[in-house]
Amino acid sequence: MVQNKDYKNKQKVKDNFISAIIGFFAFVWIFPILWTLWTSLRPYNDIISYGVFSWPRHLNLDNYFQAFRVMGLSKYFLNTLYVMVPSVILILFLGSLIAFVVSRYSFRFNLTLLLFFTAGNMLPTIATYIPVFWLYIKIGDLFGNRSLLYNNYFGIILIHVAFQVGFATFVLSSYMKTVPKEISESAILDGCSVFRHYWDVMLPLLRPPLAALGVLMSCWIYNDFFWALILMSEDSKRPVTSALRQLQGQYVTDFNLLAAGASIVAAPTIILFLVLRKQFVSGLTLGSTKG
Amino acid sequence: MKTAAVNKNVRSRRSLSRNDRFTLSAFVGIPTLLQVVFLWGPTLITVALSFTYWNGINVGDIKWAGLANYKNIFFGSPVFYDALKNNVVWLLWFTFIATPLGILLAYQFDRKIKGHQIYETIFYMPVVLSLAIIGIIWNFMLQPGGFLQGVMGRDIGNALSIWGNYDINSYVIMAIASWRHIGYIMLLYLAGLKAFDSSLREASAIDGATEWQTFRKIIFPTMRPVNVIILVITIIDSLRAFDLVYIIYGTSTAWPLLNILAFQNFAGQGISMKGAAYSVIALVLCVVPILVYLRIVFKEDLE
Amino acid sequence: MSDVNNGISRRSVLKGAAIGGAGLVAGGSLLAGCGKKQVTGDVHFTIRGNLSDAGAKIAIAANDAYTKKTGNKVISQAVNSDDFQNNFVQILQGTPDDAFGWMAGWRTNARADAGLLADVSDQVKALGSSLSAAAIQGATNPSDGKQYIIPTTYYPWGLHYRKSTMQELGLNPESIATWDDLIKLCEATQKKGLVGYALGDKGGWEAMGTFDILNMRLNGYQFHIDLLNGKEKWTDAKVVDVFTHMGQLIPYMNKNVLDISWDGMRDLLLQKKCGAMMMGSWFANDFKAKSQADYDDLWIVPFPEINPEHGIDSIDAPLDGISVAANGKNVEGGADLAGFLGSKEGIDAAVAAGDTNIYISSDFDTSTYDAFNKQKLEVLGAAKNIGFFLDRDTRGDFAGPVVGPAIQSFLKNPKDLTKILESTQAQWDALPAL
Repeated sequence: MVQNKDYKNKQKVKDNFISAIIGFFAFVWIFPILWTLWTSLRPYNDIISYGVFSWPRHLNLDNYFQAFRVMGLSKYFLNTLYVMVPSVILILFLGSLIAFVVSRYSFRFNLTLLLFFTAGNMLPTIATYIPVFWLYIKIGDLFGNRSLLYNNYFGIILIHVAFQVGFATFVLSSYMKTVPKEISESAILDGCSVFRHYWDVMLPLLRPPLAALGVLMSCWIYNDFFWALILMSEDSKRPVTSALRQLQGQYVTDFNLLAAGASIVAAPTIILFLVLRKQFVSGLTLGSTKG
Repeated sequence: MKTAAVNKNVRSRRSLSRNDRFTLSAFVGIPTLLQVVFLWGPTLITVALSFTYWNGINVGDIKWAGLANYKNIFFGSPVFYDALKNNVVWLLWFTFIATPLGILLAYQFDRKIKGHQIYETIFYMPVVLSLAIIGIIWNFMLQPGGFLQGVMGRDIGNALSIWGNYDINSYVIMAIASWRHIGYIMLLYLAGLKAFDSSLREASAIDGATEWQTFRKIIFPTMRPVNVIILVITIIDSLRAFDLVYIIYGTSTAWPLLNILAFQNFAGQGISMKGAAYSVIALVLCVVPILVYLRIVFKEDLE
Repeated sequence: MSDVNNGISRRSVLKGAAIGGAGLVAGGSLLAGCGKKQVTGDVHFTIRGNLSDAGAKIAIAANDAYTKKTGNKVISQAVNSDDFQNNFVQILQGTPDDAFGWMAGWRTNARADAGLLADVSDQVKALGSSLSAAAIQGATNPSDGKQYIIPTTYYPWGLHYRKSTMQELGLNPESIATWDDLIKLCEATQKKGLVGYALGDKGGWEAMGTFDILNMRLNGYQFHIDLLNGKEKWTDAKVVDVFTHMGQLIPYMNKNVLDISWDGMRDLLLQKKCGAMMMGSWFANDFKAKSQADYDDLWIVPFPEINPEHGIDSIDAPLDGISVAANGKNVEGGADLAGFLGSKEGIDAAVAAGDTNIYISSDFDTSTYDAFNKQKLEVLGAAKNIGFFLDRDTRGDFAGPVVGPAIQSFLKNPKDLTKILESTQAQWDALPAL
């Protein structure tokens, strides 16, 4: 017993040491973000007159107000919403449909479907953009409107949905396996149609993974800048992360304004993460380690 | 028991109503159609295009090329080998440095050392940031007039060369990529550890084993499925790397990667189907990791 | 490769438009007004760059002048230039703006052949005699003899420097007559703690300016054009000679060549951190935007003679202009705007807004040129043969993906030259027929 206590004390000292080292690295880790925030709080004139490392004479939020005013951020944020909200809803909805069918009904193609959906999520998709573009134009021509999909929110939404629905399917089907089969069986015995089985019985039970997935997907789609850059030729329609490219070129010399702008754009996902951490973690858990 | 079995048989033998069949078809059909048309379709088209000559504009101009693009890449494009080298560097760094660090951090946080809550948040924060923002943040740190240069007392005129300095630029890029990757792996592993039976750990602690021994001999081996999945994710992310380098270098292949080459040859003023070929090469390299992932994750269903 | 084989005859007189342009004022543009039906409707215009650039403000001012004249609204948007060029083929096939600033040469002609650009020959005709025959030829697509770009500005590539810096150093760049003189100038600049020969090649194309001029000086304009069209080999001793000379400049370059792009080069000059800088003069607007004093301090001289056989008879002078998208919503409006921007009123509006570029139209009164512009004309005038710059004189799938990385590799490891040239030639040979 004494040996145990001794051991525990030694371990405690070691642990404090470990904590201190990790603490140091944590500071190093977050320093770039802190530096950006710091840069955003200093007025441009201060830096010009006194240099980057000068002691702050003024600290204010002027850059933030100016960023909103000149960068047109509200317009870009609206664009992000136009893309993000429908995408997330569709991904969750469509993913749940497939997950529902393959986990509640035994068809021969179930496993194959699951495999394809999961694998689809892992493909390197950068170069598919030329066929995607060509498809969009051709489909648009079919309906007589070239910008039905290209340069249109609808097109970006579609591509996000196609690329992410596999992950949602995988997570939701994993989760559904843990829902007792009896629930479905009794629903069917009660004469539920497939649709009601899905809508009234299963869907309400899926709240936890749907919440988790919703949080994760929102974060990923919000952060994407590449597809909107490629598939939107009008800068004014682009979501805020893609617009950052243009803004970066525009304000490349005004570090402080750019820092404020970047901080504003980063804020939503950071806040989302801080507030909904549990959902983040559970979403990733279900999604990767098949917990 | 018997009732349940009978019920099960009843369910599978009972034919579905027409409405139900329609609903099921829609449930399966719509998402599948979307996937096929906008994901698998374009992927297959890219593969097909890699065997052609085309300038990306008029479909009528597509000409068969056989393996010409691939021959060009393997035998005539030295920048391809530079890119492969960088992808390998990325892979090795992630596999032997970044991922293990993430795992180590996860283990320490799982042990609930002092401050672990805050640390978890801090280490994961870069993961929730868009790469566009990460590019800006690190520019503030590294560019002429930025933090690092200022600390070294160098102004814009004699700023230390970073992106163009081939002695250090790989390390810098890997450091920034790791900044993100480590937090991601940490959270994944942490989630996996939570499912781990803590009594095993308690037992080995009483036996006098150090924490390190416990981890090495008991926890790590038991986490094998999770380990493999983490490894596969590491490999695939290394092969899919693109965004960060695109932000830094644009399409100039100053620090090439497979996907950068794919994009450079598929876009811009000089579109050629070499870009499709590069993409197929990246795809082929991903096939084995993806298959391994599928096997592990769907183990029960496959057996 | 007929579309890139623009022989000497086409280009050699291009610069004549500049010298011969002085004096012709109102006559040409009057023709533009008569006999044309009125075009109405909004016109969408893409500015390549950022709204905060000097160039963007000038473009908007010129567009406003069009609106004032015709009552048609012009909706301009700024698009990151790299992104616009990267996605050009997609944008032009999708829902492009009606008109945009573009570059003459392969980039216009190849895209015109593919049906992405609208024919603006009528607008060119309407500009009448304000465009010299050579200017029109520079804008003409050799494969069908039509024009798909309204030529507006052009600029020489030459050695830029700040007069004040050179004065402080006690050096006179105007006196560089030979290669050795240039090296001596770089040495002297370097000794005083400045960068001798500024270069930034992060974008992969900036160093082509140095390559082009060295090739034209050492081996002549014809060899240069032939090399870019595959008629000469990259493994030729003449090309090795070009790179050897470039290698001699490396010790005098800034240490972070592959770290900075063209705007980094410009900043080095702006901040008086370098001596000579080989670049095109388009960046002068940024100097003017900073201050008139900075702009007045700017000067340019032709790259010195190296081989007496060729003297300084060649130069890169890319021609820019306005193109119209074939798939735009308002093609007629776009063409109308393009024609306006190439006409006297458009040019006057741009200049009034601060444009310091040289316009190829003879409608532009060169007597109002400031000292820098007059010097640019002199530099241009000294040359008989004019190139459009490597990435506009050769195929797009060769310039960017092959030559760019090749030069970057050379700057990284000059010792690998033989390997680099062999692989460059191999990649040219492997290109599919156009």
